[in-house]
Amino acid sequence: MCTPAPGGRGRGRVRLNVGGRVFQTTATTLAAAGRDTMLGAMLDASWNAAAAGDEADYFIDRDPACFAVLLDLLRTGGLHVPPHIPDAVLCREALYYGLLDRVRAARWDDFDGDRLRLAASVPGRAPGDGTAVRPAPDGGCCVAHGGAVRVYNWMLEERRPVYLDHAPVNDAAYLDASTLLVAARERPGRRDGGVAAFSALTGEMRHRFRVAHDRQVRSFTPGALAFDQECSIFASCKGRLNEYGIGVWDGTTGEQTGFFYEPPGCALGDADKLQWLDGTKTLMAATMFPRADSSFISLLDFRDKNVVWSWCDVGTPASLEDKHAVHAIAMEDGRSICVINQYDDLGFLDLRSSAGGVRWRSRSKLMSRKKVHAEETCYPKLATHAGQLFASTNDAISVFTGPDHALTSTLRGSDGGAICDFSIGGDRLFALHNEKNVFDVWETPPPPII
Amino acid sequence: MNPQRKRIPKIEPFKHRVEVDPKFFDKSWKKLDDAIREIYNHNASGLSFEELYRTAYNMVLHKHGGRLYDKLAENLKGHLREMGKLVEAAQGGLFLEELQRRWADHIKALQMIRDILMYMDRTFIPSSKKTPVFEHGLELWRDIVVRSPKIHGRLVDTLLELIHRERMGEMINRGLMRNTTKMLMELGSSVYQDDFERPFLEVSASFYSGESQQCIERCDCGEYLKNAEKRLAEESERVSLYMDAKTADKIANVVDKEMLSIHMQRLFLMENSGLVNMLINDKHEDLTRMYDLFKRVPDGHSTIRSLMASHVKETGKILVTDPERLRDPVDFVQRLLNEKDKYDEIVSVSFSNDKTFQNALNASFEHFINLNNRSPEFISLYVDDKLRKGVKGAANEEDIETVLDKVMMLFRYLQEKDVFEKYYKQHLAKRLLSGKTSSDEAERNMLVKLKTECGYQFTSKLESMFTDLKTSQDTMQSFYANLSGDSDGPTISVQILTTGSWPTQPCATCNLPPEILGVSELFRAHYLGTHNGRRLTWQTNMGNADIKATFGDRKHELNVSTYQMCVLMLFNSTDTLTYKEIEQNTAIPPVDLKRCLQSLACVKGKNVLRKEPMSKDISDSDAFHFNDKFSSKLVKVKIGTVVAQKESEPEKQETRHRVEEDRKPQIEAAIVRIMKSRRVLDHNSIVTEVTKQLQARFLPNPVVIKKRIESLIEREFLERDKVDRKLYRYLA
Repeated sequence: MCTPAPGGRGRGRVRLNVGGRVFQTTATTLAAAGRDTMLGAMLDASWNAAAAGDEADYFIDRDPACFAVLLDLLRTGGLHVPPHIPDAVLCREALYYGLLDRVRAARWDDFDGDRLRLAASVPGRAPGDGTAVRPAPDGGCCVAHGGAVRVYNWMLEERRPVYLDHAPVNDAAYLDASTLLVAARERPGRRDGGVAAFSALTGEMRHRFRVAHDRQVRSFTPGALAFDQECSIFASCKGRLNEYGIGVWDGTTGEQTGFFYEPPGCALGDADKLQWLDGTKTLMAATMFPRADSSFISLLDFRDKNVVWSWCDVGTPASLEDKHAVHAIAMEDGRSICVINQYDDLGFLDLRSSAGGVRWRSRSKLMSRKKVHAEETCYPKLATHAGQLFASTNDAISVFTGPDHALTSTLRGSDGGAICDFSIGGDRLFALHNEKNVFDVWETPPPPII
Repeated sequence: MNPQRKRIPKIEPFKHRVEVDPKFFDKSWKKLDDAIREIYNHNASGLSFEELYRTAYNMVLHKHGGRLYDKLAENLKGHLREMGKLVEAAQGGLFLEELQRRWADHIKALQMIRDILMYMDRTFIPSSKKTPVFEHGLELWRDIVVRSPKIHGRLVDTLLELIHRERMGEMINRGLMRNTTKMLMELGSSVYQDDFERPFLEVSASFYSGESQQCIERCDCGEYLKNAEKRLAEESERVSLYMDAKTADKIANVVDKEMLSIHMQRLFLMENSGLVNMLINDKHEDLTRMYDLFKRVPDGHSTIRSLMASHVKETGKILVTDPERLRDPVDFVQRLLNEKDKYDEIVSVSFSNDKTFQNALNASFEHFINLNNRSPEFISLYVDDKLRKGVKGAANEEDIETVLDKVMMLFRYLQEKDVFEKYYKQHLAKRLLSGKTSSDEAERNMLVKLKTECGYQFTSKLESMFTDLKTSQDTMQSFYANLSGDSDGPTISVQILTTGSWPTQPCATCNLPPEILGVSELFRAHYLGTHNGRRLTWQTNMGNADIKATFGDRKHELNVSTYQMCVLMLFNSTDTLTYKEIEQNTAIPPVDLKRCLQSLACVKGKNVLRKEPMSKDISDSDAFHFNDKFSSKLVKVKIGTVVAQKESEPEKQETRHRVEEDRKPQIEAAIVRIMKSRRVLDHNSIVTEVTKQLQARFLPNPVVIKKRIESLIEREFLERDKVDRKLYRYLA
C-alpha cells in the first residue's frame, strides 16, 4: 500500500525538519514504517500532488531527540535509546508516529527460557495476596489481588482495574488483547461472583456468563478458566445445590453451550487447573492438594461427555504419603502430564496408558528449601513454552530444556518472597511474588548483531 | 447581629486549569473542516498534512476524541448529501457513471481524511468501540447515497436491466458493471447481498423459468440441454466478469433449478428425443451433456440411472423371451454381447465410467439374462461355437481372448452357474472327443477364467478331462509300439476317460463288428496289463470312424459315427437288411439306432442306404438296401448324425432334473456347515445364509431348502426346538 512520492526528486531523498533539527533520509527508509503510519501517509502521493522541486521538504513539530531514535529504528531495525530519554516519552512519540508496534517488536525477541533477562519489577500496591498473574497476548498482563484484577499494558503502565462485585478473584484470563475474563468467588448469601468478560482497555464489564441448570439460572463459584481454539470458554463450577462440574460457553455469543456434570469419583467442580489439549480435543481438569485431600487429574471429551483418562493419588504407598502432586500441566506433545510435589520433585504421567502411576524423576530434588514458610506456603507451579518446562520453586524459576528435561537456567528476580504464581505469554514471563505483591517481567533480548 | 453567626471562612480549592483556550476545539475543528472541504473539492494541494495530523492529534490528546468523531460524521453527511443530489440528477445512462465518479471521489477523500485522523483511529476508536473512520465513511455512503430512496431502487433496476439486456445478446459496459458491484461489495457483503444479489437471483429465476417454458415447447431434449449448458456457461462467465465469486454457486443453483430440476422428468421422457431415444441411437454427445448437467441436480443421476436400467431390462426381456431368437443360440448370445458392448460404451464415453451406472447396468443385465432359464446353455453353446471353429475371420489368440472375456462377463450375470457348468462339460467333452477344438490354448484360457471366477472346485473335473486326453495319447503310442508288425487290420484310437469327470451316460454297449472287436480286445488286454485293478467300458455312442466303401466303381471314404460304422459293416455281407435284423445284430439302443439310420438313409446327398418305404421316419418294419448308386463329388464324405445342437425338450428336462439332483447334496452340505457353527438357528436365517453361501453357483429355491431341512431332520442331523418350533438345533 505504500506509494512513495513520485520519483525523480533527488532520487527519493527526503528532508525532514523535526523540531528545528534537520534530518535527511530516503523515501524508502520512511516507507519501511508502512502506509498506515503518520510518516507513510505524509509521503503518500495524495498529499504531495502539488509538491515540486528536487527534494521533498517537511516540517514536523515534535521532539528531535526521540525522532532520531525512531529514525534509527526505521533505518536499522534496532532500538537504541540513549539514557537521557525516558521510556514514557519515547513511547508517546512512537505512538504519535504510529510506530509503537515496531518499538515493541524491537524491544524483545521471541521467547526463549534460557535467554531471559529481568526487564522490570512492578511493585504491587494492592491489599491481600496475589492469586494469579496472567499474560495478555500483546505483552501486557493482569494480576488478581483479592477482589480486584489489576491490568497493565505492555509498557507496564497500569490501566483501570477490573472488579466483579468486588468478590475475591479465583482466576483471570485474556480471551484476546482487549478482552479479559474474570472468575470470582460467590460469597455466602450474596449471589454475586461468577464469570464475566471485561474490556481490558477501559475496565467496563461487557458480558456476564450465566449457568442454567434445568433452564434455571443459578449462581455459582467458578474455579479455573480455559479456552479452546474454537473459542469455547470452560470454567470449573461449584453450584449451591451440589451442581458441580465444568461449564462451557461460546466465546462469541457468550451463551452457555453445555455443562459437564461431575461423575461420581471425579472431582471437577473444584478443579484449580484447566487446560485445553488441542491434539486430542480434550480438556485436562486437575484438582490438586491442598484444595482437595487427594489430587485428581482427568481428561474430558466434551463431544460425548466422557472421561477419557483419569488419575488419582489415593492409595499411593505409605512411604510417599506426605508427598502430594500440587500442580500439573499437560506437556505440549500431548502424550504426558507433568506434575510437581511440594518438595519440588517433578513427575510424569503417561496419557497413553490409563494404569501406571507417576514416574517421579530420581534425584530431581532441585535444591533444599532454605526455610519452610511459617504461615503461607507457596506451592510450586509449572508452565510449558516451546518445548521448555518451567517450574517455580520458592523464589526462583527453573527452566528445563530438551527431551530429558535437563535443568538449563534458573531465574531469580526481586526479593519479594516466594513466587506464588507465574505465567508465560506475549513473549514474556511474569512472576508474582508472595510477600510484597511485586511482579517480575522477564523477556528475551534481541540477539547481538555480531 | 446574631453573635452566633460566625463567619466561617470559605477556602476555595485551588483549581489548576489545564485548558487555556476555551475555543481550542472550535478553532481546531474549523481547520479540519476547511481541509475536508478542500479535499472534496479536489483542491488538497495547499494543505499541510503534518499540520492537520498534529491538529487532530492535539484534539484527541485533550480528550476531544468523542466530539471530533461526531463532528466528522456530521461533516461527512453534509458532503454525501450533496453528492447524492448530483447522482440523482444524472440522466438515464449517465446515472451509473455519475455514481461511479462520485464513489471514486468519496473513497479518495476518505483515505485522506483517514490519514489526518490516523491517531484517533489508533487510540480513541479501540477504547471507545466505535467504527474506524474509513469504515464509518463507507457506512455513511451506503446509508446516504446508495440507500437513499431516490437512488436505491434506480440502482438495482439499472443493474438488472443491463444484465437482462446482456442476456438478450446486447453488449453492455462490463467495466462499469464491475465497478458498481465492486462498490457494493466494499460496502460490506450484506450490502452486496441485500441490494444486488438477492434481487438479481429473483429476476434470474423468473427469466429462466420463462425461457425454459418456451424452450421446452420448441426444442427437443438435445437442443434444450445444449441451451441449458450455454446459459450456465454464460452465467458463470458473467459472475467472473463483474460479480462476487460467491454468487457463482447461487446463480448456478437458480439456473439448475429453473432449467433442469423442474423439467427433469419431462426432458427425460420426451418422445423421440428423450433419454431412451438417446440410448437407442447411441447419442454419446447428448448423453454426456445430460450426465454433466444433471450431476448438479439432486436425484438427477439416480433418475437417469433408473430410467436407463428399466430401459435395458425391458429391451433385454424382449430379447431373451423372443421365441424367434431362441432358435439360434449363437446369435442369441451375440446379441447379448452387442447389447452389453453398446451400453458399456455409453457408460464409459458419456457417463465418465461412473461406478453407480456400471452397477445399475450389471444389475439390469443380471435381471433379464436370468429371465430365460436357457441362458446358461446358450452361453455355453456360444463358447462351444467360438472354440470349435475359432472366431471367424481373424482367428488369432487375442480375438478369442477378448471374446472369452466378454462371455465371462455374461457368465458373471448367471445365477445358475452350476447349470452352465453341466452344459459346458458336455460341450467340452464333445469338442475334445471329436477333436474339434480349434486351439488348446484357448480352451485352457477359458478354464483359467472360470477358475478365477468360481474357484478350483468348479473346474477340477474339466481339467481332469484334459489330463485324460493327454494320457490317452501316451497310452495309444505305447499300445501301437507294442503292436508293431500287424498293421493290416483297422486301427483304433481309444480315449480313456475317467469315470465321473466326463458327462457320460451309462449306455449299453453295442456289438462291434468282429474286425474292430479284435483290435479292441487287444487294446483292453494291453491296458489292463499295464494298469492294475481298472475297469474298462466302451462308450460306443461317442466315437467315430473312417471307413472305405465302394459304390459301383466309385470309391469313397466315409466319416461316420461308431454306431453308423456298426450298421454299415453289416452290409459287407449282404445288400438288404430289415430294421429288426439290424437292431438284433448291432444291439444299438432303438433311439440311437433310428437316429443313425435316419442320417444314413434319409439325408439327401448322403444316403448311402436306401430305405423301403421311402419316408422320413424310421419304423420297425422298414427294410434297408445298400445304395450302390450313391455318388458324391467328394472322395471323403462326412455322414453327420442327426443330432440337434441344442438340446431337445426331453433332454432339457433331463438336464434340469440332473441339475436339481446335484443341487440337493450341495444345499444339504451348506445347511450342515451353517448349523455346525451356529448350533441353533431359525428357519429364515438358515435360508438367507444358505442362499448367501451358494449364490456364487446358483440361487437355491427356498422351497427346496425347506425340503432339504426336513430331510435332514428325518435323518437326525437336525431337530426342531421343543419350545419354539421355528428354531432348529444341530445334533452332533
